[in-house]
Order: sequence, then C-alpha cells, then structure tokens
Amino acid sequence: MIDVSQGDIELVGLVKRYDDVVAVNGIDVNVAPGEFFTMLGPSGCGKTTTLRLIAGFERPDEGKILLDGVDMSRTPPHKRRVNTVFQSYALFPHKSVADNVGFGLRYQRVTKAEAKRRVGEAMALVRLQDYGQRRPAQLSGGQQQRVALARALVLEPPVLLLDEPLGALDARLRLDLQVELKRIQEQLGITFIYVTHDQDEALTMSDRVAVMRGGNIEQLGEPRELYEAPSTAFVANFLGASNLVPVSIGAADGDGAQLGLGSFTLRADRCPLGSGSDAVAMIRPENVRLEPQGNGGENRVPGMVEEVVYLGFHQEVRVRLANGTLIKVDVPNDDEQVEHEQGDPVCVHLPPRHLRVLAADAAVAPAEAAPVEQVPA
Amino acid sequence: MKRRPSFLAITTWVYIVWSLLPVLLAIRFAFNSGRSRTSLQGWSLRWFWEDPTLSVFHDPTLQSALVHSLELAAIVMLVATPLGTALALGMRRWRGRGSGTANIVLLLPLVTPELVFAVGMFLLFTTAFGFIGLGTTAQAIGQVTFTLSWVVLIVRGRLATIGRDVEEAAADLGAPPLHVVSRVLLPLLVPAMAASLLVSFALSIDDFVVSQYLASGADTTTVPMRIYSQARGGPTPALNALATIMLVVSLLALVLAYFVFKALTRGEQKEQRDTAFRQLAMEM
Repeated sequence: MIDVSQGDIELVGLVKRYDDVVAVNGIDVNVAPGEFFTMLGPSGCGKTTTLRLIAGFERPDEGKILLDGVDMSRTPPHKRRVNTVFQSYALFPHKSVADNVGFGLRYQRVTKAEAKRRVGEAMALVRLQDYGQRRPAQLSGGQQQRVALARALVLEPPVLLLDEPLGALDARLRLDLQVELKRIQEQLGITFIYVTHDQDEALTMSDRVAVMRGGNIEQLGEPRELYEAPSTAFVANFLGASNLVPVSIGAADGDGAQLGLGSFTLRADRCPLGSGSDAVAMIRPENVRLEPQGNGGENRVPGMVEEVVYLGFHQEVRVRLANGTLIKVDVPNDDEQVEHEQGDPVCVHLPPRHLRVLAADAAVAPAEAAPVEQVPA
Repeated sequence: MKRRPSFLAITTWVYIVWSLLPVLLAIRFAFNSGRSRTSLQGWSLRWFWEDPTLSVFHDPTLQSALVHSLELAAIVMLVATPLGTALALGMRRWRGRGSGTANIVLLLPLVTPELVFAVGMFLLFTTAFGFIGLGTTAQAIGQVTFTLSWVVLIVRGRLATIGRDVEEAAADLGAPPLHVVSRVLLPLLVPAMAASLLVSFALSIDDFVVSQYLASGADTTTVPMRIYSQARGGPTPALNALATIMLVVSLLALVLAYFVFKALTRGEQKEQRDTAFRQLAMEM
C-alpha cells in the first residue's frame, strides 16, 4: 500500500517563539519510516506546537522540517504530505461520515469509483463500514475519533500526526483504541507521530518516546529504557511512579558510590555523578522490598507504615523512614501477602541495583522531607 | 402542598402585562370599526382594506410607505449579510497589528447614539458625498452601516462555536484556502447568515431616525416616518393597522430566524446550539 522507504521525518534545530515565550527551543530528532514515535510531556512542554509545526499550522522561527529529505517548513499545510488527527476530532458537522472521510480525496486525482472504493476501505479499516450515511453528531466519541482517523488514513500519507487523539475518551475506550491504533499502524506501516501527556499510552504503543520539557527533548529512547533507566529526575517522575530520595554522594565504590541518607548509608551499583554533589536516588515502588522489623544488611532502613492504599492487584504501602523520608512500596496482592497496618514498624530494603542516582532538580519535588505531625510516643 | 407564587414571580408578571398593554391597545384600535383611536367602537377590518379611501390598502401614502419600508429592508438585508459575513471572516484571519482597534471600531455603531450617527450621515450625504445625495440610496447605506455591526456580531459568535480546528482539518486534508471557506466555513455559517438576513430586515423595518434624516421626500417615507408625522395630523385607526402589520412582519422575521437557525443546526449538540441562539436572541 505504501512505499516503506517513505515517511522519514527529520527535525533540525526547530525553534518556535510566541512573542517572548519560547514554545519549541531547538529540537533535533530523526523519526524513521514506519516508526511509532511519541512526544510525551506535561502541558506547555512544546509537544503540540512541534506537531503543529510539522503539520504546517505554525511557521517555525528557525530550523527545518525534512520529509524524506525535502525541507517542507515553508510549505502551506494543504500541500504537505502529512495528515493530522485532532484531539477534538474536528469532523465537519454538516457532512455525512462518508463525505467526511472522502473530503481530502478531491485533491488527489482519483476517479469517482476509486474514491468510493478507498472510502469504503478506510471505513472498514476503522470498523465503521455501516455508518457512512450518518452525521458525525449521531456517533459516539470513540466512533467519531475513528472517523477522524479514517479521514486522514484514506489519503495514504507517509506520516500521520496524532494530537492527543484519545484525550477526550473515557479510560476503558482509550485502552481499546490504543490497541486498535497500534494494529492499524503496524498493518499500514506508516510513520505515526503521536502527542500525549498520558504515560501509559506512550509506553504501550510507541517504538520510541521523546519526553519533552520546556520546549526541549529531555530524554529520547525506547519505552523500556525510559522507564528503567531515566536519565533525569524529571523523566523518572513523569514516567510511572517513583520514589525520589534526596541523598548526598559519598565515596566511590567500584562503578557505584556510597549515598548518605540522613544518618544511614546506602550503596548504588552505578553512579554517574561525582562525590560531594547533591543528588536524588530514584527507585520504583515495585523494586522496594518490605521486610520484618530488625532485618539487618546492606541498604536496609527502618521505618513505620504511615498509610496503606488498596489498589486491587496491589497495595501501595507508604513508609516513613527513620530520617523522615516517605517511601512508596508496591506490595502485590498474591498468596504470600503480608498484611501491613498503619503504625507497623518495618524494614525497607532498597536493592543497590535498582537505585539510580540522578542530578537533583529543584523543579521536580522529591519525596516529602520531614514528618508533618507524627511524633513517636 | 402548592407553593404560593413568590414576590419575584408576581413582579415579573406585572411587568410583562404592563409592557404589553400599550401594544395590545394599539392593536385593538387597528380593528376598531369607528374613526376613534380612543374609544372602542366594535370590531372590523375597515382600516386594513375595507375602507375605500382611508384604509392601509387604499390610502396611497400609507401604501407607498409600506412598500418603501419593505424595499429598503430587502436591500439592507441583502447587502449587510454578505458584507458582514465577509468582514467577520476577515477579522478572524487578521491577527496582526491593528486588528484589536478594528474590532472595536466595527462594534462602535452599536453604542453610538443613533441620533448622532444619523446627523453625521446627513452631513456626509449633503456635503462630502453630495453626488449621492439624500434618498433611498443614502437611507440604504445608512442602515447597512449600523446593521453591519449586528451581522458581524452574529457571524462571529457562530465562528467562535465552529472553532478553528475544522479549518485546520480542511487545510490538512488538502483544501486550498478558498475551498476551506467554500466547502467548510460557509456551509457552517448558513444558520448565522439566515439569522443575519432576518435580523437586518427587522432592524431596517424598525428604523426611524436614520430613515428620517436621510429621506428626500414623500416617496422615501417609511412606515415609522409616516406614523410619526400623521400622529399629529388627523390620525385614523389606519395608522394602528399599519403599525400592526409592521409588528406582525417583524415578529414573523424573528420567529422565522429562530426556526431557520434551529433547523439548520439540527445535527449539532443541543446545548451548543442553544447557547448560540440565546446569544443571538440577546443581540436582537
């Protein structure tokens, strides 16, 4: 259907300013043909602006946008071979579903019969073949979103841009459509550039994810790499749950280092930062182990259970460490579960291989520092 | 237990009756069978068409006023609507320097006292634009000028609910700028344009001050002007009949505007449509 060598997008030094505000601050990235590429970040990080620059709705102040090696940063949107799926769907309310899907075919020299066949194919692809004569307002949100998808896909663009396409849908539907989007992308083999603030969407569907912040790419990598080896506290905090513990870096220890946490000393297997600097130690809640009180050994810190939150397949146990830091621990609800209750004294094990040392970042709040009200009797 | 009507509800009803009373009285006398406009003398259609000389239908001065009013209103609605729509579209595109000022200037006629506006127009057409002079053309231009603000307001309100993303979507799918307007924006603006047609019609029919100042003689006399001038000479219930006809025509225009707008936005979400119309109704 589509030439697999097409759909290579390269952004070179892309900058966009609105008056004094820099929305996109020099982005360089290369998206491979057929890749599912996601830009993830909080609102205001520049992800949507970047997408709008690629679509042509905004003009960049600096930089280039190359599609298969040709700069299109000055091309108006109707002449770009990329199509967009909008968060608001942006369907034409006065046209039937079939006319919506066929809207763009008028600008591609195709015969009436060919257009009809392609509209039918596109609607079948999104499983809406029986809805052609309806008006958009007669469809549910999820169906409308699929019409928007078909309307863009019918033009067989080498690159499809998706701006938070699932943002307006409820959680259950979102999961279904995630699966469907991924299926369609793999079936057609076209490049998807996907914008979202939802980390789950980014992790489940993408080949690669760019975590964005303040108009820059903070970290770029495969979902697993981002989750397991975040390079900054911001990425660790934004992607998944994490404990960020302020520590001071002590003596080096092989590849790792000793970390000072109050009067306790921890060891991390790896430490990219030099001794003496302020840092945060990051550990995912599912990597923290709860052990009985009094357990000795390396990287074990005593604490007291402050709160237990039941979350279905697991419990989140919040433990106040002896130095005042709050640590979240995921305890699976399996056969071996141990019931923890508020006020229980426990021992928290922070395995050295799961402790990642990251530069401290004032903008990213670390774990709560001191107990607020708790005074042990 | 039945709730007693509250003070506020009673006040509201008193106000409604009070405000409608003079109108209802005027209409009642249009159907009077005698000459009096103050004492009730039975029912008839005498003043509409039965009287061979004095009825609206047979009195040439009343008839010509009615015809002129309708002519003028037709011209005004057919000029103001496309022009105002184009202006609203232009204002939406124009985001650079000066757009804010233009925005305010465009809406200035809404708050300018009509008398000031009319005197200014009068001076303009008797001096600088002397070649146009007073008369139907001047009246039409004058009415279009202040009607335009309403059209812009209505169309802009609709544009705001349409949103920018359908325009972007159309361009994204390959539509050149002209097609974005013709295939997407204009069809979506049809309800607002229909409403604009009827609102400008109603505004023109009701207008007195501008028509009065820019009139050139008997053949450019509108219904409100005729009613005003005859109110002092020997008035007959024919004036009431004329006023009643105008009232019915204006009301029909508004009711039609509502239903046309409603019919044309049928597929859309109810609340969105209702907001749009409420906005429209308030503007009128």
